[in-house]
Amino acid sequence: MMPGSVPIKLSMLGRVQHRDIVLRAVAAACKLVRPQPTLPPDADWNDFRMQVVTAVSEAFNNIVLHSYAGREDGIIEMNIRTGRNHISVELRDFGDSFDPNEIPEPDLDRLPESGLGMFIIKELMEISYRPGRPNVLTLSKRLTDSHAGVLPEATKGGEA
Amino acid sequence: MTVTISAKEAGTARIKIEGELDTVTVPDLRNQIDKLVADEPKRVEVDLSTLRMLDSSGVGALVSLYKRVRAYSGEIVMIGLRDQPLAIFRRLRLDRVMIGTDIAAPSTAQKQSSSNH
Repeated sequence: MMPGSVPIKLSMLGRVQHRDIVLRAVAAACKLVRPQPTLPPDADWNDFRMQVVTAVSEAFNNIVLHSYAGREDGIIEMNIRTGRNHISVELRDFGDSFDPNEIPEPDLDRLPESGLGMFIIKELMEISYRPGRPNVLTLSKRLTDSHAGVLPEATKGGEA
Repeated sequence: MTVTISAKEAGTARIKIEGELDTVTVPDLRNQIDKLVADEPKRVEVDLSTLRMLDSSGVGALVSLYKRVRAYSGEIVMIGLRDQPLAIFRRLRLDRVMIGTDIAAPSTAQKQSSSNH
């Protein structure tokens, strides 16, 4: 079985108090995304992990605050898949649906105080969203080309 | 998150925010900001050198503080940002919009130099 084909799964109540558990799991999963595991993490990898953790944090907040909107019994399921140079984090919820593409981009020059979460997510990761029961938000990211460039050609694109 | 407010000198207040500024901790910061702004200090220094994690709601609170101080023509600087919070500031172009704000943490060389004075 290919590494990464079996996702890392977590299921929890959609409460902000549970976010730290999610973020620790995501940060740990990022350690599996290493083109050359024998080399120490470099600045690109640290930046990659920071961006993934930040985006997932915002996405988790969005579900708690908007999809479940104060409900404390909503369930969030998370599936993490990793490859040598990419990660995807799938968040499933059973609350209200929304279309990420209909959320207006904030006018940054006007110093907005809200409406920044989805903008940050889109800045940091690729997203896809499928409304329904459950709603499925998938965040994906690859390591930068410069980092991935250390891979031998034959191994590129071979991740799960 | 830990918030410490101190009066540096007459008319200048310093607020130091440590740890994680996010959806969970923002309500506490907003209470502290209310107290700080009530006195309308001429200059507010926001020390973010030990802020480890910043999310969009934390950004909202900092922007709110910025606007409130500017609204009474006060001066506000945000200092010491580094790592994830600095990256978020840059993504949101706050480093450009908050004109005159020295947001980035000083380099090691600068710190050594300043500590010698």
